Amino acid sequence: MARLSHQKCTPDFHDKYGNAVLAGRTTFCIAVWTYVATQIGIEWTLSPVGRVIPKEWRD
Amino acid sequence: MLATRVFSLVGKRAISTSVCVRAHGSVVKSEDYALPSYMDRRDYPLPDVAHVRHLSASQKALKEKEKASWSSLSVDEKVELYRIQFKESFAEMNRGSNEWKTVVGAAMFFIGITAILIILEKRYVYGPLPHTFDKEWVAMQTKRMLDLKVNPVDGLDSKWDYDKKVWKK
Repeated sequence: MARLSHQKCTPDFHDKYGNAVLAGRTTFCIAVWTYVATQIGIEWTLSPVGRVIPKEWRD
Repeated sequence: MLATRVFSLVGKRAISTSVCVRAHGSVVKSEDYALPSYMDRRDYPLPDVAHVRHLSASQKALKEKEKASWSSLSVDEKVELYRIQFKESFAEMNRGSNEWKTVVGAAMFFIGITAILIILEKRYVYGPLPHTFDKEWVAMQTKRMLDLKVNPVDGLDSKWDYDKKVWKK
């Protein structure tokens, strides 16, 4: 009827920037954490199974 | 007389109220927050007061027309009466919003800041890793664990094929 679309006339901050905020910051978060996980030398002590080739230790 | 009797029963506040009554005439002014207020709530569908309290001239005329038969009101007039009485319809009141996107975005941002803090921590705070984490050492350590038959049932040793000398697929 006459005034039912009251909200749509004035989109608020979340309508205008919500998608951009969500997408941008999630990318930032994932990028930084991938860097942390792989590049800076943190030892995650992953299992040697399938990953490490055993080397003879008895000299 | 009446004032002192009320005072003895109720307390000092009654004295000041009755003083105000004598000072201002017959009307005692209340604060806005003490009066019944309007609210848009699903669980309180008919609020205590109308939304529009000070009617314009045309609105007052409409209110007069409302006292007659309602079939004489047009659709627009009915909507106008509704809007005088209520601020938002139930549909407007219950509408969802996109606020969650901003909230989740802000949370992700601060989690990202945490990652930056960890980078700084690793760079400036932590000392070097012990030598037992070198690739060569870990390889020799793994071979020794296999020679010692560590966890042969379900663990490390069960994953190693001793005949072919490779990890089991």
